[in-house]
Amino acid sequence: MNQPRIEVTDLVVRYGDVTAVDGIGFDIAPGELVTLLGPSGCGKTTTLRAVAGLETPSSGSIRLNGQTVFGAAERRNVPAEKRGVSMVFQSYAIWPHMTVFDNVAYGLRVRKLPQAEVRQNVARVLGLVQMQDYADRPASKLSGGQQQRVAVARAIAFSPNVLLFDEPLSNLDAKLRAEMRVELRELQRRLDITSLYVTHDQEEALAISERVNVMNGGRIEQIGSPEEIYNRPRSRFVADFVGSANLIKGQIRGPAEAGGTLIFEAEGGIRLEVIALDASRGDHDTVALRSSYIHLGHVPGSRNAVPGRIHRRMFHGDFIQYVVDWPAGQLIVRRPPTELFDEGSEVTVSFAPVHCVLL
Amino acid sequence: MPLVVLLCGVLVLYPIGFLINESLNVGDPSTFPPEQYGFDNYTNLIDDAHILGNTALVASIATVLAVLFGFLQAWILTRTNIPGRQRLERLMELPYYMTPLIGALAWGVLLGPKTGLVNQAWRALGSPVDLFNIYSPYGIAWVMALFEGTIAFVMISASMKSMDPSLEESSRVLGAGKLRTALRITLPLVAPGVLSATIFVFAEMLGSFAAAFVLGIPGRFYVVTTAIWEATLSFPPDYGRAAAMGLSLFGVMLITLTLARLVLRHGTYTTITGKGFRPREMDVGRMRWPLLGIAWGYIIVAVILPLGALMLTSFERFATVILPQMHFTLANYQTALQMGSVGPAFVNSLTLGISVATIGVPVMGVLAWIIYRSRMPGRGVAEYVIMFPQAVPRLVFGLGLLWAWINLPIPIYGTLWLLALAYFTVFLPLGLRTIAGVVLQVDPSLEECARVCGAPWIYQMRTVTLPLLRPGMVAAWLLIFIASVRELGVSIFLMGPNSKVIAPAIVNSWLSSSSELSAAMALIQTATIFVAVAILFGLARRVTGVTQ
Repeated sequence: MNQPRIEVTDLVVRYGDVTAVDGIGFDIAPGELVTLLGPSGCGKTTTLRAVAGLETPSSGSIRLNGQTVFGAAERRNVPAEKRGVSMVFQSYAIWPHMTVFDNVAYGLRVRKLPQAEVRQNVARVLGLVQMQDYADRPASKLSGGQQQRVAVARAIAFSPNVLLFDEPLSNLDAKLRAEMRVELRELQRRLDITSLYVTHDQEEALAISERVNVMNGGRIEQIGSPEEIYNRPRSRFVADFVGSANLIKGQIRGPAEAGGTLIFEAEGGIRLEVIALDASRGDHDTVALRSSYIHLGHVPGSRNAVPGRIHRRMFHGDFIQYVVDWPAGQLIVRRPPTELFDEGSEVTVSFAPVHCVLL
Repeated sequence: MPLVVLLCGVLVLYPIGFLINESLNVGDPSTFPPEQYGFDNYTNLIDDAHILGNTALVASIATVLAVLFGFLQAWILTRTNIPGRQRLERLMELPYYMTPLIGALAWGVLLGPKTGLVNQAWRALGSPVDLFNIYSPYGIAWVMALFEGTIAFVMISASMKSMDPSLEESSRVLGAGKLRTALRITLPLVAPGVLSATIFVFAEMLGSFAAAFVLGIPGRFYVVTTAIWEATLSFPPDYGRAAAMGLSLFGVMLITLTLARLVLRHGTYTTITGKGFRPREMDVGRMRWPLLGIAWGYIIVAVILPLGALMLTSFERFATVILPQMHFTLANYQTALQMGSVGPAFVNSLTLGISVATIGVPVMGVLAWIIYRSRMPGRGVAEYVIMFPQAVPRLVFGLGLLWAWINLPIPIYGTLWLLALAYFTVFLPLGLRTIAGVVLQVDPSLEECARVCGAPWIYQMRTVTLPLLRPGMVAAWLLIFIASVRELGVSIFLMGPNSKVIAPAIVNSWLSSSSELSAAMALIQTATIFVAVAILFGLARRVTGVTQ
């Protein structure tokens, strides 16, 4: 019974000569929330719109609940209105000529539900997004955050079994965005609704997803849980795009004496103990090291300890970012604001082999 | 749906095809299809060199005047702090709505030789000659500049308004004075806008008809457009010559307009953006009163004086300003509304305006949606074809329509049906552009969302698309109504004895009977248009008030 709700196979979307999506595939299990994360133009929104039925792919197939809704081979393309999915648009797409109630009731009225049931459902979902007092407002008189809530209410009102989000929070200011992120996740868990979520904000993707699908240039770079993506990037792109990482150039000099690690000689002649992942796709000439995993000062058991010097200190509030000169060039290091070092002071940079991921 | 596009394309291309065909006809001009083809009609145009000279003269003077007025008005109204600028800016639209025809009639009433009101007064003061004869190239140019030149004001003030004030401010901050800033910064920045407006206005003047017709025909002074009209009236009608002239005029206008667009695209500095800035107002000190005088002076000669003259004349038995000779009467209005042929002309015009707008707007709405929203292949070509009538001088298009429909076995020539079809064809660009403006503003995701919510296409159109397009459709309806009621260039060829419409009827009355009756008719037409415009603006204000 654990058949995936959404199955995308070998999907290709072309606009003329441009290939926006270049042969991607992934599954989403019932109740799961999967994000498509990537820079603008990576094909994530196109993928989402293809699932919704708003773009026509060139090849591949899309299955929803086991039913093929798009299949290039069998020339099948179910129109958007018959796919039974729902979507929250980036611009919210709140119809300005209707009231909040009419907006939310739209999907129910299309399905010709009895008046009483429509009213009951609208009240229920408006309650879920805490907009019950706004039902009779003209939709054009809502703030950005309120429009967002109405858009979500409208999307879930007719109890779709798949919900698509197209960068739903990108038009909100930072504080509201952080709040809505929590609320959306709560709602999705409570309704147990299978969701595909597009965002370019890596923080958002890591915070809300069961699995993250990092995309670049129309292809999938890596699929995995947020922790996997962050701790074990499999490509330079993922290491660079998700979180803040130092990329250290060098060469492998053979296995270390113990612990299954490798010896990596970085520029400047320093030797580091690093780990290699099976599926690493790189040329094994770069090591990714997260700036939050670097200690300033010697920490027992970190195995890698190199002398350095604080070049620049920048106070960010939640953390301090140091630029540290070390034999292999410069390192970005993030420490909690309690760990203060003066610019110019000598420090020992230390970090564990498990955080040095060979690419 | 593609059928609608195809049909509209045929409506546009069919008359043009006929026009080209006819211009190459060197056999008997009244046979169809032509028995002999050749370029004689074009080579014979050399005989008409004096007409081309007249056209160039009138168009040049009118362009210089229009750009001068436009530049001055635009500068005063956008960049200085004279009082009441906003009201003046709104009044600047009136000459456009009055139409060149009404303007020409009014100035004929004011400065016609001997009988013109001003000339009467001038002679009454003891002068043996007229103060000024409006039935002259200069008179025609003056009227054209006043009533067709408002586009120069619109274009130049747009380029002045879209200039980022910080460009001038930074010049002042770097130590340049007012004059230096004006010469080194402001002028170079607005120059491309002024240049392209100049070329654009010149092209418009070449194709302009009404003023040259009303003020040129009595003195047998012909420009290209009036010569085309004359050629079709001669016996036997010289359609070949008319078509060749029309197409040549169209060619010259097309080249000129392309040039204007090139100047605007390549000459404009990227720092001038489409964004609306609040331009810096210059404190003009004591100069504000003379400048205010100039601004109001323009409104007086372009609106108040002409309308006043028409009004005075329309209530008089004989047009005069000599007090003891004045006889006031309502007879002109009675005649205008009752007379055998004129009364029906009003009714016909109103009927046409209402029906063309009512039937045309939904069709244009569908076209706009197909062209700017759908993914139908070939919609770029469709847009090009449907926008085509806008590039052809109205009179030339009218000629094409005349020739095309006269040769069709369907007996609609001389009926209102033909006029309705012709109006629909020539107003396609106007309607399409107006509705397209709204279509492009509607976020596509509003429609996509309806589909994702499960709505079939028809349901989505009914509940989301059409309600959102309503403001644009209403505006298009009123604009097409106004354009129909004032239409001259096409109607003058296509109206028959039982299908008279108002604008040509006014012209005929002016040429054949009294100026007093013509004035009454002109005022009734103007009043109809002003009422429609007032509704349009009231509506626009309400619609924008709701959405914001």
